[in-house]
Amino acid sequence: MGKRLAGIFWALLFLAVPVFGVATFAIAPAYDHWLPKDVSEHGASIDSLFYFILALTGVVFVVTEVLLFWFMWKYDAAKQQGGATYIQGSHTLEVVWTIIPAATLLFLAIYQMNAWADVKMRRPAMAPTVEVVARQFEWRLRYPGRDGTLGTADDLFLVNDLHLPIDEDVLIQLKSMDVLHSFFLPNVRIKQDAVPGMKIPVWFKAREAGEFDIVCAELCGWGHYKMKGRITLEPRASFDAWLERKYAEQQTTQPPPESPGDLAASN
Amino acid sequence: MNRHLVVASVALLVLAAGCGKTPPASFRLNMVQATKTAAPDSELNTSWTSWSRERQEQVATILEALFGTPDEPVALAESGLDEAKLRLAAGPVRSDIVGRKNGLYREHCVHCHGISGDGMGPTAAFLNPYPRDYRPGKFKFKSTWRDAKPTQADLVRVLHEGIAGTSMPSFALLSAGQVDALAEYVRYLSIRGETEAALFGYAEQELGSGDKLPTTREFLVGEILAPIVEKWKVAEESQIPVAAVPAGIDFSLPGSDLANRESVARGRALFLGDGGCVKCHGVTALGDGQANDYDDWNKAIVEVSKEVAGSLETSRTTSTSGMPAEKLAEYRARAEWLHAFAGVLEGDALRPRTIPPRNLRLGVYRGGRRPLDLYRRLYTGINGAPMPGVGPSGPGAKGSVADAEIWHIVNYLRSLPYEFDGELGADRPMVAKDRF
Amino acid sequence: MISSASLRMLGLCVVVCSAQGCGAQRVAAPVADAAAAEKIRAGLIVAAPAAEDGSVEAAATGTGWATLKGRFAFAGSPAEPKPLSVDKDTEVCGKSAKLFDRSLRVDASTKGLADVVIFVRKSSRVKNPVPAAPLLFDQKNCEFLAPVFAARVGQPIDVHNSDPVGHNTNVDGTSFNQLIPAGQGTTYKPDSEMGAPKAVTCNIHPWMKAYVIFRKDGYVAISAADGSFEIADLPAGEPLEFQVWHARSTGSGGGVGIERPELKWNPKGRFLITLQPDEVKDLGTLEVPAAGLGA
Repeated sequence: MGKRLAGIFWALLFLAVPVFGVATFAIAPAYDHWLPKDVSEHGASIDSLFYFILALTGVVFVVTEVLLFWFMWKYDAAKQQGGATYIQGSHTLEVVWTIIPAATLLFLAIYQMNAWADVKMRRPAMAPTVEVVARQFEWRLRYPGRDGTLGTADDLFLVNDLHLPIDEDVLIQLKSMDVLHSFFLPNVRIKQDAVPGMKIPVWFKAREAGEFDIVCAELCGWGHYKMKGRITLEPRASFDAWLERKYAEQQTTQPPPESPGDLAASN
Repeated sequence: MNRHLVVASVALLVLAAGCGKTPPASFRLNMVQATKTAAPDSELNTSWTSWSRERQEQVATILEALFGTPDEPVALAESGLDEAKLRLAAGPVRSDIVGRKNGLYREHCVHCHGISGDGMGPTAAFLNPYPRDYRPGKFKFKSTWRDAKPTQADLVRVLHEGIAGTSMPSFALLSAGQVDALAEYVRYLSIRGETEAALFGYAEQELGSGDKLPTTREFLVGEILAPIVEKWKVAEESQIPVAAVPAGIDFSLPGSDLANRESVARGRALFLGDGGCVKCHGVTALGDGQANDYDDWNKAIVEVSKEVAGSLETSRTTSTSGMPAEKLAEYRARAEWLHAFAGVLEGDALRPRTIPPRNLRLGVYRGGRRPLDLYRRLYTGINGAPMPGVGPSGPGAKGSVADAEIWHIVNYLRSLPYEFDGELGADRPMVAKDRF
Repeated sequence: MISSASLRMLGLCVVVCSAQGCGAQRVAAPVADAAAAEKIRAGLIVAAPAAEDGSVEAAATGTGWATLKGRFAFAGSPAEPKPLSVDKDTEVCGKSAKLFDRSLRVDASTKGLADVVIFVRKSSRVKNPVPAAPLLFDQKNCEFLAPVFAARVGQPIDVHNSDPVGHNTNVDGTSFNQLIPAGQGTTYKPDSEMGAPKAVTCNIHPWMKAYVIFRKDGYVAISAADGSFEIADLPAGEPLEFQVWHARSTGSGGGVGIERPELKWNPKGRFLITLQPDEVKDLGTLEVPAAGLGA
C-alpha cells in the first residue's frame, strides 16, 4: 500500500510540472510579465517567431510530460506483475524521432532568415542619425550637427538622453569606449553588443512615439545594473525642434536670467 | 560519524557568522584630521591615546547633535538646509508613506562618495579620478568666484550632466525633485565636513590636552557653524560677471571658418604667449607640460605623509640612551602617535595621485563644453586644482587678461580638437572624429 | 601522510576565512554618544532665537598705545642653505643669482634669526585704519622677493611678476590662484584673516615658496635680517597674547618655544604680556633653540 501511494505521489509530482508550466504562461500576461510593448516595424516578425517557437515547443513539452506521467502511473511497479520487457532498440523509432525534430529545426532556420536579415543585414543607405558610444556606465551620444557629418566641430554631445524620429529609418553607429556592453532597446526589439574597436551599425524604424528604456545587456562591471538610458521616439518635427534647442544650449555664452526651479535652463 | 558532526558544526558556524542584522549606518570622523590634531605636545599628563580618543568622541558627539545620523539627518534652522529634502535623500532605500522613493543618496551616491561624503566609498579605489570628498567644502565646476561656494544651480547642473571623462554619471533621468534633494544632501555633507574641520582646528589652536570643547549655543552655532553657513548663503550672489561676446566670434560655426579665423588666432597668441598656459598644458596642448602636481585633496595627504615619514625617520634615528625620564616619556608618546598616524594614513586615505594638466585636444571637458563653461574655467581657474584663473581674483580686482579677450581663448580651445597639428607628424592625427 | 579528511577540513577553513574578506582595514572610528548628542541639540534649539553675532569681541579696556620690540637669535650654528632644484625656464630662473632654500636665514655676525613672524592673536582696539595704498608683492628671477609677507585684511595687494616668464601665484588657504603673465600684476584684497601664516607657491615653478599672513588688526611684525622686530601702536592696558611663528619650527602649528618663564611662554609658541601706555617694552634677545627649528 505504501509503495503504491509513493508511486502515485511521484507521478502526480511530475504531472505538476506541465500543469504549472502552462499555468504560468497563461497567467503571466495578466501580471504584465510578458513581452514589452513593441513600437518597431520589424518587431512583429520577431514576436511572431517567438510565438511560433513557443507554441511548437509548448505542444511537444506538454505531450512529452503527459506521456511521462502516463507511463509512471500505468506502469508503476506496485501495480505491475513481473518485471519489464527488454527490447534490442527500435530502428524505426530512432529514425522517426531524429527526422521530425531535424526537419522542424531546418524549417525554423529557413523561416527566420528574413527576420534576421531585416535587422542585421539589410542596412539602409544613409548617414548615421546618431553615434552611441557605450561607456562604463552610461551611453554617450553624438549627433552630427548642421553639416550632417559626424566628427566635425558642430557635433552635439549628450549623455543617456537619446531622441529619434518615428516613421522613418534611423541608423545608429554603435561604439564602445572601454569594455563589452550591449545596446538593448526592449521596446524596439533591438539588441546589439558594443565591441571595443568596432563601429557597428544598428537600424530600425519606429511606428509609435513614446519614452522607453535603453538597457545594457552585457555585464560590463560594477555599474552594469545602473547603466540605464532613455530613448524618446517622437515625430520628425518635434525631434528637429528638440535638436535645435539642445544645439543652442550647447552654445550658451551667457548665464540664463533668474528662473529658479527650471531644471532645463539651469545655469 | 564524528567527522560529519565536525563538518556540520563548522558549516553552522559559518552560517551564523554570515547572518544577523547589520548595524545602522554611522558617519565616520575625518580620521586623518582627528589623529593629526591629536598630536602630543610637551605638556603631556596622560598618554596620547586616552585624551585624543576623548577629543574625537567629543567632536563626533557634537557633530551628531548638529547634523544627526545618516539615517536621521537634522537640519538646524541656522544651517540653512531644508530638512524635508534631506529626509528624502537620507536613510536606507525605501518607499515613504506616499510611495515616493527615499534613500536617494544611498542608492545613487554612497558607493563612490562614501556615507560621510569622504569620497572613499567601496568603489572609489577603482576610479580615476577619485570621487569628490565634500568635507573640505571645495567644488571645482561652478559659476562663482574661485573661493566662493557653488550655487544650487551649479550643483544641480553637475548632477544633471555628470562630469564627462570621469566616473560621475548623469542623473538626468531622475526627477527634478530628486535631483534637488541630492544637491541638498551634498550641501549638508559639505557643511558637516567643514564644521568638523573647524572643531578640530579650534581644539588644536585654543585648547589644551585635557580641555573639553564647549557645547554652548554661542560657540557651536555662533562661532563655528555661522561663518560656514554664511559662505553657502552668499554663493547665490557670488556669480562671476560674464562679459558679452566680442565681434568676430560665432560659436555656431567651427573654428576653421572664416568668421572665426581672427579670433582663433588671437586666442592662440594668448595661449602660447607669456602667460604660462603652455608650461602645464604643453605647446601642443596635449597636457604634457608637467606631470607632478597635486590637487588640493591629494596634496593634503601627500604633505601630511611626508611630514609623518620625516618624523618617523627622525624618531627612528634618535638615540634614547641618554634621555632623562620626562623626555623619554615625551619621545615614546610622540613615537606611538606617529605610528598610529601612519596607520591612519595607510587605511583611511586613498593613495594620492598627481593631477595631469588637461589634454585640450580630446574634446572632453569635465566642467561642461558650452562656451560659457570654458569661460568660467578660464576666468576663475578651477578651485581645488592647480589651474589658475586669468580673470580678476575678486569683485573690483584686475585680472591678467581682459574679460572680453577670454572669449578668444575659448574660441581657440574649441577649435583645438579639430585642428590638425602637422608638427606632431602625420601618424598622430589630432582630429576628434578619429578618437572618442 | 595527511589524511584526506583533514585536507578537506583545512580547505573548509580556508574558504571560511577568505570569505571574511581581505583588504586594507580602516582604522576604527569613534562612535558618537547618542544620548549626549540629544542633550546638546536640545540646548541649541531651546536657546534665544535672536541672531547671534559670531565673533565675541574682547572688551576694550585701557587707553593709550605702546610698542613692543626685541630680537630673535638662533642658538646654534645653522647648516649651509641647500640650493633649490631649478628645472623649468632655466634661461631665466636662477640666472641673475643662484636660488637657495631660504627657510632658515641666520645672520652670521649677530646670530639674528630672520623671518620670524610675531603677531597679536586678539586685540580690542586698533589705532590705524587699513591703508588704502596697495602693498607690493613681487617675484623676480623665479623667486618671491619677500620670503615672509604680512598684510591687513582689506588692504589691496599688488601681486606683481617682474620676470620675463609667466607665473601663477597660489596662496594656500585663500583660493587665490591667478596666472600672471610676464611684466604684469593683479590686485588682491584679502577678505578674512589667517590664524597662522600660509604658503605661497607657483604651480609652474614648484621650488618657489614664500609665506603670507593676513590679519585684521595689522599687529604683525616679521623679524629683519638681524632678528630684530618692532610692533608699534599696540593697545595698552589689556593682556595681549602674542603668537610667534617660524616656517621651520617643529612645534605644533609652527609655534616657536622659547625659555622665558616670566612671559608664560606656551608650548604653542604664545606668550602673554600687558603693556602700559606709551611704554616701549624691549624683550631683549629671544634665543630660539636649534632643536626647535629642526636644525
